[in-house]
Amino acid sequence: MVKNYIKTAWRNIRANKLFTVLNIVGLAIGLCVCIILFAFVYTELNFDNMYSNSENIYRVNMETSEEYDFEIWAELPNAVGPAIVKDIPEAKKMTRLIKDDFGVTASLKIGDKNYNENGLYLADSTIFSMFDFKFLEGNSKNAFLQPKSIVLSQSAKERFFGSKSAMGELITVNNRDTLQVSGIYADLPKNSVIDCDMVYNIKDSWMGTDVYWSNASYETYIQLQPNTTVAQIEDQATDLIDKYVDKDGQYFTKFFFQPLTKIHLYSANVQDGYSTRLGNINTIKSLLFLSLLILFIACINYMNLATANSRKRSKSIGVNKVLGANRGQMLSLFYVETAILVLFSVVVGYAISFLTLPLFRSITGNDINYHDLLATPILIGLLIIWGVITIVAGSYPAISMSSISPLLLVSKSKKKNSASEFVRKGLVVFQFSASIILIIAVTIILQQMTFIKNKNLGYNPNGVLAVSVKSAESRQQVRSLTQNLKRQMSIESVSAVQSMPGLNESGRSVRKLSTDVVGMPIKSCRTEGDIIETLKLNLLAGSKLPEVISEGDSIIYTLINEKIINYLDYKSPNDAIGKIINTELGGRAIITGVVANFNYNSVKEDIGGYMYYKSNKAPERVRALLIRYNTQNLPQFMGNLQKTFNENMPNTAFDYEFLDKHVAQLYASEEKTAHAVSVFSVLAIFIACLGLFGLAAFTAEQRTKEIGVRKVLGASVAGVTTLLSKDFLKLVCMAFILASPIAYWIMQNWLQDFTYRTPINWWVFVLAGIAAVFIALLTVSFQAIKAAIANPIKSLRTE
Amino acid sequence: MNSMIKIKDLEKYYRTEEVQTVALNKLTFDVKEGEFVAIMGPSGCGKSTLLNIIGLLDDPDGGSFIFNGIEVAGFNERKRADLRKHNIGFVFQSFNLIDELTVYENVELPLIYTGVKPADRKKRVEEVLEKMQIMHRRNHFPQQLSGGQQQRVAVARAVVNNPKLILADEPTGNLDSSNGNDVMQLLTELNDQGTTVIMVTHSEHDAKYSHRIIRMLDGHKVTEDILV
Repeated sequence: MVKNYIKTAWRNIRANKLFTVLNIVGLAIGLCVCIILFAFVYTELNFDNMYSNSENIYRVNMETSEEYDFEIWAELPNAVGPAIVKDIPEAKKMTRLIKDDFGVTASLKIGDKNYNENGLYLADSTIFSMFDFKFLEGNSKNAFLQPKSIVLSQSAKERFFGSKSAMGELITVNNRDTLQVSGIYADLPKNSVIDCDMVYNIKDSWMGTDVYWSNASYETYIQLQPNTTVAQIEDQATDLIDKYVDKDGQYFTKFFFQPLTKIHLYSANVQDGYSTRLGNINTIKSLLFLSLLILFIACINYMNLATANSRKRSKSIGVNKVLGANRGQMLSLFYVETAILVLFSVVVGYAISFLTLPLFRSITGNDINYHDLLATPILIGLLIIWGVITIVAGSYPAISMSSISPLLLVSKSKKKNSASEFVRKGLVVFQFSASIILIIAVTIILQQMTFIKNKNLGYNPNGVLAVSVKSAESRQQVRSLTQNLKRQMSIESVSAVQSMPGLNESGRSVRKLSTDVVGMPIKSCRTEGDIIETLKLNLLAGSKLPEVISEGDSIIYTLINEKIINYLDYKSPNDAIGKIINTELGGRAIITGVVANFNYNSVKEDIGGYMYYKSNKAPERVRALLIRYNTQNLPQFMGNLQKTFNENMPNTAFDYEFLDKHVAQLYASEEKTAHAVSVFSVLAIFIACLGLFGLAAFTAEQRTKEIGVRKVLGASVAGVTTLLSKDFLKLVCMAFILASPIAYWIMQNWLQDFTYRTPINWWVFVLAGIAAVFIALLTVSFQAIKAAIANPIKSLRTE
Repeated sequence: MNSMIKIKDLEKYYRTEEVQTVALNKLTFDVKEGEFVAIMGPSGCGKSTLLNIIGLLDDPDGGSFIFNGIEVAGFNERKRADLRKHNIGFVFQSFNLIDELTVYENVELPLIYTGVKPADRKKRVEEVLEKMQIMHRRNHFPQQLSGGQQQRVAVARAVVNNPKLILADEPTGNLDSSNGNDVMQLLTELNDQGTTVIMVTHSEHDAKYSHRIIRMLDGHKVTEDILV
C-alpha cells in the first residue's frame, strides 16, 4: 500500500512540473533561512554549556543605588569576590576578570615589534580550573607560580611568535609591565563569553593587591557547591555590603548571581562587562519569528497550489473512492505526496544554506560556520522540520481533497468549491499582508537610520581621528607628540583626552549642596587642549579650558553641559560661570565654560550630564589624542601621522580610530536589523509572488474556455488581462488595508526605543501599497497576457 | 433466482436555495442475481441518480434499498465503501482511468483496496488483462491508448475483484460502433458467467443486449420491457 502511495505521489509531483518547481523553490528558500537560523540559535542557546562546572558558575552582578538609577552592573569592586568566598561556605571558588587598563586596547612590545591587543585580561589563577583551560604547554598549577607570568591562547601565540616556541619569552605591556610567557592554552570555545586571548595574574597588579569596595570595574565569577540554593547565597552576599561598606560608600544595594549560561543572551539590562560575545534573546526571537513567517508563507504556497489543483485531482480521488479507498487512505496518499515534495525542499534548502552562509554571516555579523550546519542536532532538526512542514503544509490540502465526494465522478456539472476558494484567498491576503508589513518596516527602519546619521549630535565627529597614547612612557612623550602634530598643516586641532565620547569616561556625581545625598550621575573626562575646537562643541557661556595651568594651581577647571546647569538650578549658562561645582574630583572645581548638550552616547539614549575637566592633580590619565584634520589626501596624511607617532613614541604600537566610524558603530545592531529585515522582506515577497504566479497560471488554465469565448466575441488582450488580474489585485488591496494599521503599531513600538525618532509618514504606507500592487501585477500579468494572446480556437479546442 | 436488489418507494431530492427538484419519485423495482438490466430515459429523468444509489455512492432520501438481503439505505460512508469494494464494479462513459497509473496499476487498484496479497494480485491482474486482450498494453498509460482500449481496461478494472454486480453508465457513449459492440459483448460474456449487470444507456441498440429494459421519466418507472 505504502509503495503504491509513493508511486502515485511521485507521478503526481512529476505531472505538475510548474507547481512542483514553484513549491520546491519557495519551501527551499524558507527552509534554507530556517536551517541557518536554527544552527545560529542552537549555537546561541548553548553558550557556555561546555564547561564541566557550567551549571554551578555564576557571574555576580549588582544593583546600584538611586544615584545610578538602579542600574544593574556586571563590573563590581574587586573586594566582592574574595569576601564572598571567605564568608559564604557554599562559594567554592571565585575569579575576578578585568581587561587590561579597563578595556582599552593594550599595546604590546615583543622583541622589537609593537602590537595592539584587545584580548588581554587580568584574572585570578582559579580561572583555569573554573573554565577548563586546556594547557598545551605549561600547566594550570604552575602558570602563575612565578610573579609576572602570562599565559597565551594558541592563536595569540601563533600571531605573535609563529611556529617558534613562546615559553619563557618576554612581553612588555603598555610600556610598563614586562611579563614572561609561562603557558599556552587551547583557544577557548567560540561559544563562550570568556574570550581571553592572553591572561596574566591579577595579583601581579595593584588591581589584585589593593582590595577596595569603591571602584567597580571587575567581573566576578563564583563557582558554588553543587545543589546550592542560589537565592539564599544572593541574600548572604548582599548582607556583606552592610558588613564591609560604610553607609556613605554604599552606591550598590544588592548582588545578583547570573548563571553563566544565561550571560550571553540575557544581559541586555546589565551594564558593562568585558565580553565581546554578547547576544540578545530578543534578536534571536525576532529572527526566529521572521524565519518561521517566511517558512509559513512558503507553506501557504503549497496549500494554495495543491488545493487549486484539486479539481484536476478530483477524478483520481473519485476513482480511488469508488474502487474502495476510504478517507484515511486518501489522507495518507496526500501526506506522502507532501512529504516527498518537502523532502526535496529540505535537501535543496540544506544545500543552499551552505552556499548562502557567508551572506548570512555578513548580515548578522555572526561567525557561524559550515561545521555548525553539520552538527548532529541540526541533522535531527532537519528530520523534525521535514515532519512538521509536511503536517503544516500538507494537512489542509489533504483534509480538503480527501473529502472530495466520489459523486463528482458521475456528476456532469463541475461544482465550485467555494470554501476552499475562500481559504485560498484568505491565505493570499495573509501572505501579502506580511510582505507589506515587512516593506513598511524596512522603509521606516532605513528612515530612522538616516535620521540618526544626519542628526546634529551637538558636536562634529567627522574629520576627527583618535590616536591611542595610553602606553606613553611619560607625560612629556604625549606633550611632544601633540606639539609635533600641531605643526602639521593638515591638522587643525589636537586634544588629549581620557576617552572618546561615550567610551571610557569616569562615572561621577555632581551635587547641589552638601545635603544633596543622591546627586546627579555624570560622565567626566579629563582633557588637555582645546576640546571645544577639536570636537566643534557649541560654547554657550564662559570660555574654553585654559591652555596652561601653572604648577601651583590646584583648581580643577571644568567645562560642563546644559544638563548639569539645569540640575544645579542655574537660570542661565552665564550664571554658572566662575561658580564652584561639587564634582567628587577631590579638589576645588570651578565652572569655566558651558557647552550645549551633545550626544556623546547613542541617540537611543537620553543625553546626561557631561563634564570635561583639566587639572594638575587629575586622577585619570589621558589615553588618546583627538585630532581634527583637514586633508584631501588621507593616505598621505595617515602616513605622515604614523611617522610622527613612531618618532615620538617608538615603543608603542600605532592604534587609531576614526570618530565618525566609532559613532556609526553605536548603531551597528540597528544596521544589522535593517539588513536582516530587508533580506527577509525581499524573500517573503519573492515567495509570495511564486505562489501568486502559480495561482495565476492555474486561474488562466481554468478559464481557458471563457477566455476563448470572450476573444471570439471581440475582447481585447488588455480586456482579458484586466479580467484575469483584477481578482488578485483586489486581494493585494485587502492585504494593504489589513497590513497598514498592524505595521503602524509595530513600528511605533520599535521607534519607542529611540529618544530621537523619525515621524511615521503616511507616504511610506502608500509607497508600500503601490510596491505590493506593482509587484503582484507584474507577477500575475505574465500569466494573464500569456492566456490573453493565445489563439482562441486553440483554447476552445482544449475543452 | 434470488433478488439481488430490491428497491421500494425510493426517493431522492436535490435542493437549492430556491427550488427542490425530485430526482427519484417513489421508484420501485427488483433486479435478480444474474440479470442484465438496461435503464433508459431522457436526460434528467433520474437514471444516473439511481445508479449512484445502487452503486452506494449516494444515499436515498426515502424508501428502501435492499442489497443482497441487507437494508443499505442509511449506511455510513465507511460501510458503503466496504460493501462497494467487495461487491460492485463500475464502468463509466468517460472510462475514468487514473492518468498517472499504467494499465496494469489501474487494474490492480481495486485489489489493493481489498487487501489482496501482491503475488495473488499479479496473477489476477494478468488473468483479467489476458481475458480483455489488453495484456500487451499493460505498461502503457491511459492517454497512450485508444478509446476502445481504455474502456477494455475500465471493464478489466471493474471485474478484477469478481464483483457480483457491474454498474455501467453509458459504457459505449464515447466509443465508435465497432468498439462499442466489443464492450457490449464483454458485458454480455460477464453476465453469461453469472455477474449481474445494470446499465444506464441512451442507446436502443445497446439496450437490446439486456434481458429487461426499465424506462424512466421524471424520477419514476414508466414501462418495463422484457426482452428475454
